[in-house]
Amino acid sequence: MAEGWPKKRRLLGTKVKRLDGPAKATGRAKYSYDVNRKGMLHAVMLRSPHAHAKIKSLDTAAARKVPGFKALVVIGAAQDWIVTKADGDTLELKSVPTKKKNDKEVQKTVKAGPGVTLIRGNKVVKVADLKADDRVTVEVEQAAVGRELYYAGDEILAIAADTEEHARDALHAVQIEFDVLPHFVSEEEVLKEPDRKTTPGNLPGNLDVGKEATKGDVEEGFKAAEAVVEGTYGVPVISHQCLETHGLVAEWDDEGGLAVWASTQATVAVSRALAGRFGIPNTKVKCVTHYMGGGFGSKFAPYAEGFSAADLARRAGAPVKFMLDRAEEITTAGMRPSASGKVKIGGNKDGTITAFAVDCHGTPGYSGGATVNLGLLPYVYLDTIANWKRSHSVAFTNQGGARAMRAPGHPQNCVLTEFAVDDLAAKLGIDPLVIRRKNLPPNNPKVADKVAWAARRNDVYNEQLDIATKLAGWKEKWHPPGKGKAGAVKHGIGMAIHTWGGFAAGGNEPNECHVVVARDGSVTARTSTQDLGTAQRTVTAIVTAEILGLQPTDVVVQIGESQYGFSSGSGGSTTCPAQAPATLLAAQAARDDLFKKVAPKVAADPKDLAIEAGKVVDAKTKKSWAWKDFCGRLGMDEAKGKGEWNLAISNEAGNENISSGQVGGVQIAEVAVDSETGVVKVKHMVAVQDCGLVVNKLACESQVAGGVIMGLNYAVYEESILDRATGRQVNPDMEFYKLGGLSDMPKITVHMMDMPDRGVIGIGEPPTISTAAAIGNAVFNALGVRVGTLPLSPRRVLDAIAKGGKP
Amino acid sequence: MKNFTYHRPATVAAALPLLDEQWGKTELLAGGTDLHDLQKEYVAQPDKVVSLTALGGEFKDITSFSPPGAFAPTVAIGAGTKLVDIAESRLLLTAYPAVTSAAAQIAGPQIRNMGTLGGSLCQRNRCWYFRDEHVSCLLKGGRKCPAQEGENQFHAIFTTGNPCVIVHPSTLAPPLIALGAVAKIAGPKGERELAVEKMYQAPSKADQREHTLAPNEILVSVRVSSTAPQFAKLANASYEVKHRETSEWPLVQASVAFHFEQGSKLAKGVRVALGHVAPTPLLSEAAAKALEGKEVTEATATAAGEAATEGVRPLSQNAYKVQLLKVAVKRAALLAAGAKPYWEG
Repeated sequence: MAEGWPKKRRLLGTKVKRLDGPAKATGRAKYSYDVNRKGMLHAVMLRSPHAHAKIKSLDTAAARKVPGFKALVVIGAAQDWIVTKADGDTLELKSVPTKKKNDKEVQKTVKAGPGVTLIRGNKVVKVADLKADDRVTVEVEQAAVGRELYYAGDEILAIAADTEEHARDALHAVQIEFDVLPHFVSEEEVLKEPDRKTTPGNLPGNLDVGKEATKGDVEEGFKAAEAVVEGTYGVPVISHQCLETHGLVAEWDDEGGLAVWASTQATVAVSRALAGRFGIPNTKVKCVTHYMGGGFGSKFAPYAEGFSAADLARRAGAPVKFMLDRAEEITTAGMRPSASGKVKIGGNKDGTITAFAVDCHGTPGYSGGATVNLGLLPYVYLDTIANWKRSHSVAFTNQGGARAMRAPGHPQNCVLTEFAVDDLAAKLGIDPLVIRRKNLPPNNPKVADKVAWAARRNDVYNEQLDIATKLAGWKEKWHPPGKGKAGAVKHGIGMAIHTWGGFAAGGNEPNECHVVVARDGSVTARTSTQDLGTAQRTVTAIVTAEILGLQPTDVVVQIGESQYGFSSGSGGSTTCPAQAPATLLAAQAARDDLFKKVAPKVAADPKDLAIEAGKVVDAKTKKSWAWKDFCGRLGMDEAKGKGEWNLAISNEAGNENISSGQVGGVQIAEVAVDSETGVVKVKHMVAVQDCGLVVNKLACESQVAGGVIMGLNYAVYEESILDRATGRQVNPDMEFYKLGGLSDMPKITVHMMDMPDRGVIGIGEPPTISTAAAIGNAVFNALGVRVGTLPLSPRRVLDAIAKGGKP
Repeated sequence: MKNFTYHRPATVAAALPLLDEQWGKTELLAGGTDLHDLQKEYVAQPDKVVSLTALGGEFKDITSFSPPGAFAPTVAIGAGTKLVDIAESRLLLTAYPAVTSAAAQIAGPQIRNMGTLGGSLCQRNRCWYFRDEHVSCLLKGGRKCPAQEGENQFHAIFTTGNPCVIVHPSTLAPPLIALGAVAKIAGPKGERELAVEKMYQAPSKADQREHTLAPNEILVSVRVSSTAPQFAKLANASYEVKHRETSEWPLVQASVAFHFEQGSKLAKGVRVALGHVAPTPLLSEAAAKALEGKEVTEATATAAGEAATEGVRPLSQNAYKVQLLKVAVKRAALLAAGAKPYWEG
């Protein structure tokens, strides 16, 4: 059983400024996008201009003659082989053995010539350079002919040149023809013609029809209801919009090693993926991510741009930078699936929801899974509502594929549920606060661990509702929907609640952290984990400093390099709950090692030694040593500690106070809606959030504010708009793909509930979940008319007003 | 990006001979906020770029032609004047707030610090089909306007007779038109003057621009003055409906200008200009007529808004802009008359 978090917290839970704040604010921090290597080339991608097509012909000869051209990679046209015979211009090859049981050797003969590229190791070679048993990458350009492309933006080939402009000119010189195929970019059209197939996968058509799940008897539940309402609600596809786009800089060394400076939320996974692709040991690939401009779930792998950059770099024999441009970022680097559908809800004046039925659908583009988190619908009230029925269909379309986006599935669930809850409250003539309190999930008395979420969730939610309604002035500001003060501008207030996991990262390999104390008292904390902008670097410093009696600025934090040991990808709000305990254990181990090594030199028993701020004290002799003096007695030695943590370790008995999971949150929005123009202005957001033990209150508040900002954009501004005729996205930019700016942001009041006995829980995702639903409900409260589909643009708001709220 | 030669002449006289007689071969570079984007997207592919950034004097300055303290000064705004300098001009603010407030509404600080009056008046349109290299449209030599039946929520609502349904993107043209401003244009045959509203045309072909200047002409300056009788009180304002406050194009804009004769509450010499609703900025005679000679009240301003929609024919996705147009005209009229904005708070 681990020692756990200190009972007396000096730094934990306080507001600590992020260590890299000044470096980021002044521009000194070098993001992957900023990395420029000597002799570096620039890469760009030729993409399908059509939403669905097959490559009919391809000729790159002219492109290869464009000034500045250095290298070209055809996507999907290269494969690794083992040479059996190299003779003249002919290569005889056999397949690379795999570890699979049914591995069958394949033979192939290739003739060298234009459009055929041979690579051994990291060098382009000729047939004459090759001998039997060499592993060789063989790319045959014409292999791309016939390849099916599934969306406008699908990758075809990448080119590296001395400048980005030359690379783009070379792209324009590629001779390519397409057989254009029918496409769907509209979900509604897929629903109308479910059997037409324009996307990959094993389905007979584009529609994956949802199966119905039920609890209790919905029809009986509706019969028992004093009021029943039906609504149509929806959220559009939105796109990832990381400020630093996806991509990396790749450089090979003379020993066949590869270094990449990647914008990624998974340094280790990226290094391993590249090693796998190029058939080299993991240890030969180093992935560096010192500073990172956001990932939000879209940056776990090298992706086509990263693999291409590394491949182009070995072919060109020079470092290659490939960062997506804004249009590529928006159309190809992942989206959040849409969700929309019909919801029927019934309940009684005391607030009891007697029945809930939802039939919804969404699109994840051409690939990706379910688009709502179906297992959680009706969201938050799943356990309370006695009778429910749900089904969800997935309509595949010829749009860039889905990737995880900050709380996958949850914001959609929250809107589909919380809009209906408020519409029911309106029909019943009751305060939405009443209906929420009545249907909060109950405490589960059977859960033995009394600090666990399930054992106390009802209490936590109720306390959060108390705090949030007080901070927002709910009592004074709430009025029945549409019954506020007269005038063109209508004010309204609305709420929504959410939940999330936030456990330590799972997987077999635990997250590692290493803490080293040198004899001059300097301390280094080292882990391969990455700081996506979450202040993870500062978390590492706070935890180390807390244990060693130092200030966070005293700790040298080395993060974001894959060779520092294993760390998991930063997704699912799992990083802090894995990394903070790993750092805790490493710092405690380093401290114990220090005591063990120095105690004999100061005539003390390590058992009696303890650390206080800036010093080591002997409980027995009452002697104390300043930190540096004590460390100075290490002599030629150093003190070291390693910490490891993951979900399995956190689940071991006695560890429940170190990290755990499951949180709740309440958000309240106050809006002003111009009923003549339909312009929605969010005036105030209140966000109350728990995340167990708060490590850095300032960073937690910042995460919550960031989540609210993202949720506000989802509610009011964002939408990927696709042209039905061409299937192309018409707004792959920041001009018409709208994100609010500073003056569009409300006052944001954040309240963190510090619950140290629950250990560390992730905070990244939960605070963005309920924002959109709360804002939508506030607009309903303002107007008395439901604007069922986001974003709440003037067009949608005016249309809803004109129709009196009918879909 | 196609290679081009770059010229940076020091005077208008030196710039003119560098220009061609047809569109496309030579492009003028003013603030530099858009041309290079179009080049990088292979939409504009000039052989020659003539930068106007070295031109000085009347091309660059805001100049008053009236004695200090004059009530309604005549002001010449150089085409090279930065938007930020227009937005912050005290000289303009006193008499022509319709211009300064509109300038302050354009995009964000970065664009206003670089963009110019000439750029705002002569820029290319923002239609997402026009700007997509891979989509054919009338202005790029195609046979069809994809917006007519496509994604057109931000396009024109005055579409009758317009095969291309862009909206003109200038936010400075409507206030200048409402104020009856006159453009000074330099060309190979010397200088000419043209009312700003006459500077525009609805383009429908690749060899047409959104304005009527010839390819070998340069906009030098725009002169704003008042034709109101002495001691009359000038009244003018612009109102933009925007989805966002930051870095946003107006969905609809209206500029209203008139004057009150001494001791009178009646609006005289009314001019109403509409922006972002048609392929050109529009001078709405119907809206002006609805206000002319009347006291500006919520009722008459509403009537002017209704009148402004005469002739609208919205597309499949932008009927909401008709409502926005009514509101914008109403609010601009009320603002011009000095009413307290009922829509704030």
